[in-house]
Amino acid sequence: MRDTVRITEIREESPWTYTLFFDREIECAPGQFMMVWLPGVGEKPFTLSYPNAFTVKRAGDFTEKLTALGPGDTLGLRGPLGRGYPPLRRPALVGGGVGIAELRLLALRSESPTFVLGGRTAEEILYYDEFQKLGPVHVATEDGSLGQKGLVTDLFPIEADYFAVCGPERMMMACRNVIPDDRAYYAVERYMKCAVGLCGQCTCSGRRVCVDGPVFSGEALAGMEDFGRRRRAKSGRWESI
Amino acid sequence: MATLPEISPPLINASGILSYPEVFQAFEREGASLGGYVTKSVGPAEKEGNNNPVVVYPQDFSKNPVLNSLALPTQSPEDWEKDLGDLRLERSRLIVSIYGGGPGEFAEMAARMSPFAEIIEVNLGCPNKVPGETTIMESIGQRPDLSGEVMRRVRAATERPLIAKLSPNSDYLAVAEACMDGGADGLGCGNTLGPGLSIDIGTQKPILAGTTGGISGPALKPVNLRMTYECYARFGCPIIGYGGIETWEDAVEYALAGACILGIGTAFMHKTTEEAAALTREIWEGVLAHLGGEPFSRLVGGAHRQAPEGQASPEFSRA
Repeated sequence: MRDTVRITEIREESPWTYTLFFDREIECAPGQFMMVWLPGVGEKPFTLSYPNAFTVKRAGDFTEKLTALGPGDTLGLRGPLGRGYPPLRRPALVGGGVGIAELRLLALRSESPTFVLGGRTAEEILYYDEFQKLGPVHVATEDGSLGQKGLVTDLFPIEADYFAVCGPERMMMACRNVIPDDRAYYAVERYMKCAVGLCGQCTCSGRRVCVDGPVFSGEALAGMEDFGRRRRAKSGRWESI
Repeated sequence: MATLPEISPPLINASGILSYPEVFQAFEREGASLGGYVTKSVGPAEKEGNNNPVVVYPQDFSKNPVLNSLALPTQSPEDWEKDLGDLRLERSRLIVSIYGGGPGEFAEMAARMSPFAEIIEVNLGCPNKVPGETTIMESIGQRPDLSGEVMRRVRAATERPLIAKLSPNSDYLAVAEACMDGGADGLGCGNTLGPGLSIDIGTQKPILAGTTGGISGPALKPVNLRMTYECYARFGCPIIGYGGIETWEDAVEYALAGACILGIGTAFMHKTTEEAAALTREIWEGVLAHLGGEPFSRLVGGAHRQAPEGQASPEFSRA
């Protein structure tokens, strides 16, 4: 679909993270994304955290303006786009920072999930209370303000059949050292333009993240050397990760 | 004049679609039936192009029409040289698309991309711009004199075969004539149409950040098919047909009009690499089945040969 929606509520999850609720529910597979359009500002990909909401971290001009909106303001949405997570049995959901929000819908649709969450501080561990009702929650924070002091990878080994990982690319790279590729899925993020497989902007080793991903199996990533290393900027220039 | 190398199978992507060398390699590894790959247009200085949204398609995801307005984003020529220098294609050829602000810049880009390109496609017809700019279509592609000058300068700068990619929004036979006189070896028929407009009724704003965008997909097919037909009738030169090719029937139709190479673009929308590669195989296998053992060259320009004897080759009135 491509449609305009009206914002109904903006919930502050942390001083820099907000969930924007809107007036309709969207059917999607967890891990698929929506292109969110703010007229006159831009259009960027976000994965839904609720059927009628997505969660953003204020990190630049676009998210600054997005989080400054209020109830009644309109947004354009197109999607759901891309390929999300396959149904996973007894998964560990491994999230870092705002990537934790992208695992929320997957958590609600998974049988017996385990949570493995990391962030700089306790404030970055989103949905901590909600997740505790769904399964065991393991937490690592860099400042030790919640859970174990350290990185999310310090929480391994974790007992699970499958692993769904969503977070900063460096964190996901580190996870590949502690999770077997044949049981893991990773949500890859790239700068997107068309988001429907035409322009090639979101390439990761030649795979167009918008249609081949954004969720890739660990085995697929094993053949993608650009993952964790480089991505194309808005002009197409390579930049390091 | 230079001879075009054989593109086999004679299917390629359109410039601005897939765009980057590593994507071409991924398609090759997936077994796509593409005999050549065209880079996105390489320009003289790094440019980001338009903000998002850069693409619009109907709400129901049907593909007719699609508008795009990327407005020629490009990394620097130095970065393209690095990218293309590292590129290894196993069984397909590389076509580099170039643009510039004037004849001198086009010539510079042709010279710099020649070491990597087996064919150079000169983009004379892009209808998109960042607000405030002038499009290539407006500044050059609609003007036979300047288009001819671009081709002369590019011809002097490279030995590579040259394709002049034309705008359907031009007096394209006059532009094509100037380009052929200027040293083009063939024609690209053609770029996207329009540009057109799409307004979101919810926000009451044009959707594209560039306001307008070139029209592609099935809506473009009859227009560029006509351009292909007319250019073949006039020049009998190699032609790359672009616009709305989604099936083997579309490919055969373009070949009959006069295209010897067929470019695919919008048909890749929403398709994974696996699905897109399968589509190219489906198109090419359909063409082969239709040929029933005859060579593809027998199809090219076939619609012109079917005129009854004694009748002049068809001429269209110029609207």
